[in-house]
Amino acid sequence: MTDAKKLLEKQARWQRSRKKLSWEEKIRIAEAVREDVAKWRAASAKHTSIKARGKRASRSRS
Amino acid sequence: MRELAELLNQLRDAGVIVNYALFGALAQMRYTEPVATVDADVLVGVPEPERLDALGEIYKFCAARGYRASGEGIQVGAWPVQFIPVFSALTREAMEKAATAEFEGLAMRVVRPEYLATIALSTGRAKDDQRILALLESGKVKRDAIAALAARHNLSAAWKRFEKRFLRD
Repeated sequence: MTDAKKLLEKQARWQRSRKKLSWEEKIRIAEAVREDVAKWRAASAKHTSIKARGKRASRSRS
Repeated sequence: MRELAELLNQLRDAGVIVNYALFGALAQMRYTEPVATVDADVLVGVPEPERLDALGEIYKFCAARGYRASGEGIQVGAWPVQFIPVFSALTREAMEKAATAEFEGLAMRVVRPEYLATIALSTGRAKDDQRILALLESGKVKRDAIAALAARHNLSAAWKRFEKRFLRD
């Protein structure tokens, strides 16, 4: 297993560097990923409703 | 994100990584209300985890395809991406048992909510407590499921503390 402490330190460095970004940069990134996030959320909602329909259908069959 | 899905699947197909799963805030958003995030975290299993530079081959593969480094990560389309090798039995299991989601017709592996919550429990920062609460509130994960996973990964004491602090009925 990779050295967990080193990895956590690396991740902390990454998170600090993200935190240090200027607000302008954070907003720019948020704008750039906004469409993806909306699609990601929509796909998740669709998946949930398909699953719920499947459960309802199997309940009504039994 | 389509580009990220393609890249991750290519990395796996080429054997550069054994497997992967999205985690962190991007995975959380699959189950809860949107949260603020400006990056994508990806758990990866690598063929030689004991290598000091476990991520070297990933960076090489990405560089050869024109993806540039972005701090400690890599820029893939609009997303700054951080690759994190599995670092415990819990994160390995989370990656192996990830769900497969679909994004614009492409498969993308995502850590399941009970694992997201238990990984958050293991790290224990304030934002991780918020993550567990958001996942519970979403109804996508039950307290029993977290308790069972926590017990298997020696986190029962942490879970009891969390319950006492935040979930007193």
